Amino acid sequence: MSRAFAAGAVLLAALMASPAAALTLRDMLGRDVTLPASPERIVSLVPSVTEIVFSLGASERLVGRTDFCDYPAAVKATPSVGGMVNPSLETLVSLRPDLVVATDEGNREETVRQLERLRIPTYLVHANRIAETVDLITRVGELTGRQAEAPRLAAEMLRRIDAVRRAVARFPRPRVLYVLWPDPLIVPGRASMLTELIDVAGGASITAADGDAYPRFSLEAAVARAPEVIILADHSTGASTAGRPSPEKWQQLASVPAIRAGRLHSADLSLLHRYGPRVPEGLEMLARIIHPEAFR
Amino acid sequence: MSASGRLALALGVLGLALLVVAALALFVGSAGLSPRAVARALAGQASADSVESVVTLQLRLPRVAAAALAGGALAVAGVAFQGLTRNPLAEPSVLGVSSGAAFGVVLAQVFGLGLSVLQALGVAVFAFAGALLAAGAVYLIARVPGGLSVPTLLLAGVIVGIFFTSAITVLISVVDFNRLGGVVHWLLGNLAPIPPGSLALFALLALVGFGLILRSARELNLLALGEEAATQLGVDAARLKQRVFVAAALLTGTVVAFTGPIGFVGLVVPHMLRGVLGQDNRLLVPAALVAGGVFLLAADTLARNVVAPAELSVGVITSFCGAPFFVYLLRTRYRASL
Amino acid sequence: MSALVEFDDVAFSYPLPAGRQAGFTLAGVSFAIAAGEVFGVIGPNSAGKTTLLRLLTRVVVADRGEVRVDGRPIGRLAHTELARQIAVVPQDMPRPFPFSVEQLVLMGRYPHAPGRFFESEADRTQAAAAMEATGVRHLAALPLEQLSGGERQRAMLARALAQQPRLLVLDEPTSHLDLRYQAETAALLQQMNAERGMTVLLVSHDLHLAAAVCDRLLLLGGGRVARLGPPAEVLQREVLESVFDCAVVVEVNPTSGRPAVQVAWPVPAGRR
Repeated sequence: MSRAFAAGAVLLAALMASPAAALTLRDMLGRDVTLPASPERIVSLVPSVTEIVFSLGASERLVGRTDFCDYPAAVKATPSVGGMVNPSLETLVSLRPDLVVATDEGNREETVRQLERLRIPTYLVHANRIAETVDLITRVGELTGRQAEAPRLAAEMLRRIDAVRRAVARFPRPRVLYVLWPDPLIVPGRASMLTELIDVAGGASITAADGDAYPRFSLEAAVARAPEVIILADHSTGASTAGRPSPEKWQQLASVPAIRAGRLHSADLSLLHRYGPRVPEGLEMLARIIHPEAFR
Repeated sequence: MSASGRLALALGVLGLALLVVAALALFVGSAGLSPRAVARALAGQASADSVESVVTLQLRLPRVAAAALAGGALAVAGVAFQGLTRNPLAEPSVLGVSSGAAFGVVLAQVFGLGLSVLQALGVAVFAFAGALLAAGAVYLIARVPGGLSVPTLLLAGVIVGIFFTSAITVLISVVDFNRLGGVVHWLLGNLAPIPPGSLALFALLALVGFGLILRSARELNLLALGEEAATQLGVDAARLKQRVFVAAALLTGTVVAFTGPIGFVGLVVPHMLRGVLGQDNRLLVPAALVAGGVFLLAADTLARNVVAPAELSVGVITSFCGAPFFVYLLRTRYRASL
Repeated sequence: MSALVEFDDVAFSYPLPAGRQAGFTLAGVSFAIAAGEVFGVIGPNSAGKTTLLRLLTRVVVADRGEVRVDGRPIGRLAHTELARQIAVVPQDMPRPFPFSVEQLVLMGRYPHAPGRFFESEADRTQAAAAMEATGVRHLAALPLEQLSGGERQRAMLARALAQQPRLLVLDEPTSHLDLRYQAETAALLQQMNAERGMTVLLVSHDLHLAAAVCDRLLLLGGGRVARLGPPAEVLQREVLESVFDCAVVVEVNPTSGRPAVQVAWPVPAGRR
């Protein structure tokens, strides 16, 4: 009797096991996501994640991206599902994804909810720190079956970051103002990775203690804090010059040390606002701007 | 032809148009499905997790239903506001009522509502309250002895609209700055597939609002005589205005709660109908329910496909149609009635 | 003849915003309108003529006293019941008014079947008859805004007739009509009264019209009844001068035999 019972229990357990091998992972927002053990058709709604997937050599698993996923150039071969805020659900569904990666900074909650209703596993990511970027690389490695490559990529990244840190260590920290957008003035705050990057690059961001990620700031307050280096984000892409910073407006602020010393620079936006394998490149660029003397 | 005969003919023609546009919307989309695949899915012959089934039945069909309902509700609300104010320029977005409702929705979301059907009802209640608040404010500002001053009405609508939109921006900036981009996108007016439970609730609320206005259609005609004359004919003018006002706010709030604020439908559709059917609200109200659906469905199909795979907001299309229309009305009809 | 309408010591004043002086009041007005007569209410502009009308149709409610129609206090009647008894032809059409003549006249059928969505065949027949009676049947499909002043007046009268009232009320019916249409209106009123036995209440500042068509006149002054009776009794120089606060000359119209009141026009100095 007990043997039949045990057999029945085993049978029941076997029947209740999911048909395809599936696992449940906890994503970066603390949600439990059930996805196939080895996703073969991934749609990335996050440009940073798309970059990481390519860097890990897993691009054959990527079936969809957004219009904003522009690096590396090979990404153009992958079909786009539209914008980050307004992707076409139809196109997405027609790609038959078994996993969608999205972020809470840039994609809409509504999109994530729709995906959940369609029962498409959606993995949410979020990275505001170098450490979180490393975590992200590890997770993407896990999702794409590149558990071996991911640590190598992460280690290389950390090595380069550390090299920058050591190169600028002995120099005094100048006060740095980073301008994401001039009008209204938007700057990196406490919760932005850029603040950390400026710090590692040997600068002291004058807006490091303010707001959340990218707060609005008053020009007066910025001038009052007397930055010694001003970095203007360049939003222009190869295609258009829209978003190119105009230095004239800043040249007028004659009281600011950065202007008097001629230390007004522009920096390519895409290197500094993606949390992927190009972070060291962005960091090195920042360090060269803040401490040119360290890299002669 | 008698009035009821004309109504039947109009509804027949419009109903046919709705079916045609709905069919078009179901067969056209960025997923690139063949017509046969779509037909298979509609007939229930495709498997439940095939692409055509998911896209057709879970994405396109609910969106078609949402567009038809939202368009119809907004058009009827437009007819109602125009009957109340005796002015063809009045409609939910022009009067700032949509913005009030949108504020209600955002407030509800800040309080954490929004997911289950019951919570969707909660959101609709907030939207309704916001719509009433905005409509009431506009009414009070524009009230002069003997009725409503039309120029003040329009200005008040613009101001109230701006006020609530700004309030939304402030609320979101304070509560969760990251979501601002998404909220701005929603404010443009976007249709998305709605789950069946919410769709049923949407339909129920819209039909309640429609029913209230339909019942009042004959009396709304009499209101054109002026409140005093209407009262002398036996119309309870005060109750009528309240009823129509509340029903129009309900319709607006419901649409905004389920699909976000979409503008100008209540301006364009009733005007076009008046050109064909005349001024009788008994014909306009039911015709608007169907014609509004046709209009918004057509606009949404365009929005979905014109720059595929990216999607335009349907509110952008309706504004591109509606704003010039508004100017045209301002310069012709409104001028003539001064 | 029985009284169709009775005003029994009716007093009313418009509510004023706080701080304003006490404005207009109607103070204790009593009179009766007999069934089948043509009754006129005359007086200076602020005397309360329009207020009287509003009280009669329950647009406003009396502070004191009672208004009765056919012996029943109007407060007890439903609005639609009252509309079946009394029809008002307003001074002018509100603008904009985008309906046709026929649609306007059909509106007059509302009190008879307020629950209906569309009008019945019987309603349409009544409307056609009303338009015929006022001679606007051939204009039925035209928008009201395209008609002349006189035609509009007759269309509005048709709407009132379509209500099949017992009392027809006209508020300043000739105030902006050409002489020809004034004559037409007067003739039409007399015709309604003679052929259908329709009781008519005329509110007007046109003393000629009032004198010509009315059986009795109510002269209102400062919210009170100054005089009530046949035109010859009411249109007398002393009482008119006291109510209108102006010098008048009262003569007799040679055609109608009724009093004709004229302002005693000031003669410019040096010109006689």
